[in-house]
Amino acid sequence: MASVAQEPASREPGGPEGPAQERRALPGWRAVGARLLALREGSIIVITIVTAIYFSVNTSNFFTGENLETLLPYFAPFAILAAGEVFVMILGEIDLSIAGLYLFAPILFYKLNTSVGLSLVPAVIVALLACMAVGAINGVFVSVVGVNSFVVTLGMLFTFEGLSLIISKGTPVATPGGQPPLGTFGKVFGGGTYSELIWAVAIVVILQIVLMFSRWGVYTVAIGSNKLGASEAGVRVNLVMIRNYMLCSLTAGLVGVFEAVRSATVQPNPAGPNEILFLAVAAAVIGGTLLTGGSGTVVGALIGALFLGILKDGLILQGVQATYLLFYTGLAVIVAMTANVFVGRVRRGQTGGG
Amino acid sequence: MAAEGAQAPQPGQAPPPEPVVPVASAPDDVLRVEHIAKRFGPVTALRDVNLHLRKGEVLGLLGDNGAGKSTLIKIISGFQKQDAGRMFVRGQPYEPKSVDDARAKGVDTVYQDLALIDELSVYHNLFLRRERVLRPLPLLNNREMKREARRALDEIGINIPRIDVSVARLSGGQRQAIAVARTVNSDADIILLDEPLAAMGAKEGAQILDLVARLKAEGRVSIIMILHNYVQVFQACDRVSMIQDGTIVLDKPTAETSVEELTKIVVDEYRRARLAAQG
Repeated sequence: MASVAQEPASREPGGPEGPAQERRALPGWRAVGARLLALREGSIIVITIVTAIYFSVNTSNFFTGENLETLLPYFAPFAILAAGEVFVMILGEIDLSIAGLYLFAPILFYKLNTSVGLSLVPAVIVALLACMAVGAINGVFVSVVGVNSFVVTLGMLFTFEGLSLIISKGTPVATPGGQPPLGTFGKVFGGGTYSELIWAVAIVVILQIVLMFSRWGVYTVAIGSNKLGASEAGVRVNLVMIRNYMLCSLTAGLVGVFEAVRSATVQPNPAGPNEILFLAVAAAVIGGTLLTGGSGTVVGALIGALFLGILKDGLILQGVQATYLLFYTGLAVIVAMTANVFVGRVRRGQTGGG
Repeated sequence: MAAEGAQAPQPGQAPPPEPVVPVASAPDDVLRVEHIAKRFGPVTALRDVNLHLRKGEVLGLLGDNGAGKSTLIKIISGFQKQDAGRMFVRGQPYEPKSVDDARAKGVDTVYQDLALIDELSVYHNLFLRRERVLRPLPLLNNREMKREARRALDEIGINIPRIDVSVARLSGGQRQAIAVARTVNSDADIILLDEPLAAMGAKEGAQILDLVARLKAEGRVSIIMILHNYVQVFQACDRVSMIQDGTIVLDKPTAETSVEELTKIVVDEYRRARLAAQG
């Protein structure tokens, strides 16, 4: 866990916004604190560390290898989902359909493997391509047709959850390649202990680089910040928006397959995916991505997911009853977001003059 | 040289017949606009616009709100397509398919809203759509963009202390200057400025007009500038065109006209409009 939290912190020296003068002026820990807060992800990093310290003091077995393994599925899938969602949220839009595709992708994968006869990898690839096609449709509706993204993707959410029920006839499906003993396919696609963690870190790192250091990323921010201005400057707004929706759908389908392999079966019940959707959006928002668009961070989304994971895991370790878990999670999210806003204000006050 | 503007109608006259506007031109034109018309549903934004821009000159475009200035700019810049009429750049037929296409043909625009991205840094804004990338990975070459941005800003004499801060932190004048620098830096030789002095203090406005004067002195670019303040027109422009009711009603070198003449056209139009409104 600790090594994951360190990851973004070690990224700072290369970060573009390091206020050089302040850095020299402040000694020791204060300098570290100042640099941490200068990051967009700064406040959530602080809050996540504080939460982790709280649980390690108040429970005996928080910092154990065993617990790390328990923690992983609580956050890795959300980190991947949130990473894709960040690309849509920076545009100032939302994608609710990820829950539908999360459920649909593994069921389509199952059908392609068992009924059509595709072998595992081609079946996954075709299923993910189908998800991207759905993302493209989302993108076309939002950008070209101009329908509100909440409405379009809500419709897609219901459509694909419904389609999943129809295809599976409402009965649980045994994930191909997910049955013990796991083969290479199963270990790579979510079944291995660290499989999802490795995917999550790789996807987050790549997408953060795309966001900060590629034209695609710059145009994404440009559209979310000033859509008309971006199009006047010659940015092909529709193309970028469609592409981002395709990316978001791809991550949704990918996580759907991972989770299906990990749990060996797919329950065609929309309740689970819907909760996962909310947690993924929450992870992105907690991580510092604005719902209004124009600003966001993939690394922040990963840390937001980590915060939610630590919270759930810590509460369970503390012996909170299952019936109380959601209640406490809700309160903690509100407290954390309030603290986030406060720390963010300190941060802006500090770097405001720059 | 410049075509004679349509006669200003006398007050009290009946609404004038459709004016037949002669095509305006000069031998050293870099841009020529002929009989451009544009409707938005029931609204006629441009009726019949003829306009020309000579090499190295600064043309002031005047007109009331809703007269069609911005529509004309958007058509020339490739953002919208005209319903009728033709355009020529350096004598060649000019049919921009997009803003990018217009830019590739040397026509670039600073819009009224500046098209700046608040969340992006000064240099990312300067290079928007023309980013420098590293090879072979398509990653942004931020170092080179910073260096070139600094040089470009120095060249046209704009003082921006830090170019790695987001443009949201800059003043109105600095933002305008960056928007202008972006077009100048894009190798465009025909630059359209849509109300560059709107919402700007006198001192900041003077800085922008200085910048325009410096560009003019260089002689590389030709500029069409939408303005409201007549004093600024006479200060910055070689020639002035006035657009009224979707057509050009005056086209004269600034040396041959006066604030009084421009004012009279506007007042006459106002009287005529009031008369029409009263039936």
